Amino acid sequence: MKNIFVRIDDRLLHGQVVVSWIPYLKVNEVVIADDEYANDEFMKELIKCSEPEGVTVHVKTIDETAALLNNDNENKILVLLRSIEGIKELVKKVKISNINIGGVGAAEGRKRYYNSIHLSDNELSILKDIANDNIHVEVRILPKDKAIVIKGN
Amino acid sequence: MTFSDYCLLSIFYFWASSTAFSLGIGYYTIYRPIVAGTIAGFILNDVQTGMIAGAVVNIIYIDFISTGGSFKGDQCLTAVMAAIASISYNLHPVEAAAAAFPFGFLGILIWKYRLVINNIFVHIYEKKYKENKAPDISLYNGLLPQLLLFVMSSAVIITAFALMFLFNKLIDFKSISLWLYYIGLLLVAFSASNILYKIRNKYNYIIFVSIFLADLIFDLRAYLLFILITFSLIFISDKKVNFYRNNFTGKIRKSDLVYSWFIWMNYSHSCYSYERLMGLAFAHSMKNILKKLYDNKYDISEAIHNHTEFFNTEPNMGTPIHGYIIALEEERKLNNKSFENISYIKKGMMGISAGLGDSFTQAILTPLFISMSVMLCLDESYYLAFIPVIFLSANILFISYNGFMNGYFQGRDSMLQRIKDIKQSKIKVYFSYMFSGIFGLSMSKLLFNNIRPSEDIFTLSIIIFAVCFTFIRKRGEQ
Repeated sequence: MKNIFVRIDDRLLHGQVVVSWIPYLKVNEVVIADDEYANDEFMKELIKCSEPEGVTVHVKTIDETAALLNNDNENKILVLLRSIEGIKELVKKVKISNINIGGVGAAEGRKRYYNSIHLSDNELSILKDIANDNIHVEVRILPKDKAIVIKGN
Repeated sequence: MTFSDYCLLSIFYFWASSTAFSLGIGYYTIYRPIVAGTIAGFILNDVQTGMIAGAVVNIIYIDFISTGGSFKGDQCLTAVMAAIASISYNLHPVEAAAAAFPFGFLGILIWKYRLVINNIFVHIYEKKYKENKAPDISLYNGLLPQLLLFVMSSAVIITAFALMFLFNKLIDFKSISLWLYYIGLLLVAFSASNILYKIRNKYNYIIFVSIFLADLIFDLRAYLLFILITFSLIFISDKKVNFYRNNFTGKIRKSDLVYSWFIWMNYSHSCYSYERLMGLAFAHSMKNILKKLYDNKYDISEAIHNHTEFFNTEPNMGTPIHGYIIALEEERKLNNKSFENISYIKKGMMGISAGLGDSFTQAILTPLFISMSVMLCLDESYYLAFIPVIFLSANILFISYNGFMNGYFQGRDSMLQRIKDIKQSKIKVYFSYMFSGIFGLSMSKLLFNNIRPSEDIFTLSIIIFAVCFTFIRKRGEQ
């Protein structure tokens, strides 16, 4: 799955992604994998309206995303997720080799992990479990930033 | 320079880097080198020299775009120091820009640690709230972070003053002016080749080169190109403006909306922290609205606290969110609904408007107008150079105010409409052509009007070196 780049960012398709990541990765397809948004017509339309030039954006449930990724696909795809729980589901269904964490806002129970990345103990342990399965998990906000690798236990 | 000059410059630097107290347009105007250099020049009684020094610094930073708190160097401090170097030490603008360049890195310290330090105010606010003390959001989003920033920015600029003064005492700037000139030229050439690489496209290059050469041969006037671009902008811009209906039926009046917008515009980045980004600012802008909706001090405090959750968007493009949320808060009060739904909408809309906003206001509008200002300044049309800055400010204020009001009356559809309008905006399509023309003329004016030995072989080789180096390195990165 060389052509798939997975990023966790609760702001989804925002400035850093549109201005920095999409040109850097040269992707032409973005999938927002989110059950809640995929079932909300307004959010779906809003997200689709905001697709950057030359890029197709889909809003899909985790299951639909897994089905799409498992299909043979020539396109380079950027998968965006809002939550760590979402990625936990996705890795069960698709073989992924890299996960990038770019933005997780502060919330009750979360501690600051690095700059704008906040993780609860549970979320960190999920990521460590994922890393245990030989998946590269890194915190990197912008392409030019140094990656901080989350290692397994 | 007198003591009062230093004080005024420190206050100006605080004002520009705070982005508060300037109705949200400060970041697009007074923070930009050409404007910062002009104001520093005004303080030091030499507007023209300050402006030219600022224009050169502006070219060095022309490839700068900030997306969500990411910075390359502090362009404003660089411009202020370049203006000082140019005026007080009598350096040529290119030399002054080189002398001031290292100070930009001193300036990023503020941006780097501000997001960390501001977490403190978030924590104090949260603690007071949990203790049931109904803390005043304007204190924790407005006054306290701004006071701290004032101390920080003053410390930075005073250090910069002292370093520059000492450097000049030890090694006279004048004695190394030729070296400074070459370094400055190299910085300009690097920045120019970076931007040329970014806009690589056949037509852009044709426009760039033909305007550059045309100026060499015919000595073009910058104001003619400025007028041409202004007319084409008017021609291609979307003229059907979506005006809000002006009927207020609930408790909220127009003045409340205007005040809320005013607070947002002034304080959107006042307590910008890693933990909440603009969360406290959003709550701050809701204060007057929620005070009107609720009577009890603790109910007000709770309603404000709801809004302090993580929030981040492009402050001008994202204003339909504010308007819409105000309408929803009004409805929530009437029907006793839960806050969950509001929070979901805020989070859903903020990312979209941030992505769209940054790629429009920061990547298109600002470079377009600021570069026109630089071009006019380098062609010695100093008064005209103010006009693009005024256009830019008016545009940004219109975008944010109109969005705010439309958000209130039309709700989420106004955000959809806004996204569609921007996507169809022809300015986006023609931007790179216009920019190539402006930049071509700016570079030729800089090289052949303002720079001394343009036939010098060394000058030429610096430019060729920078261009080749950038293109080879960028190719290698691919």
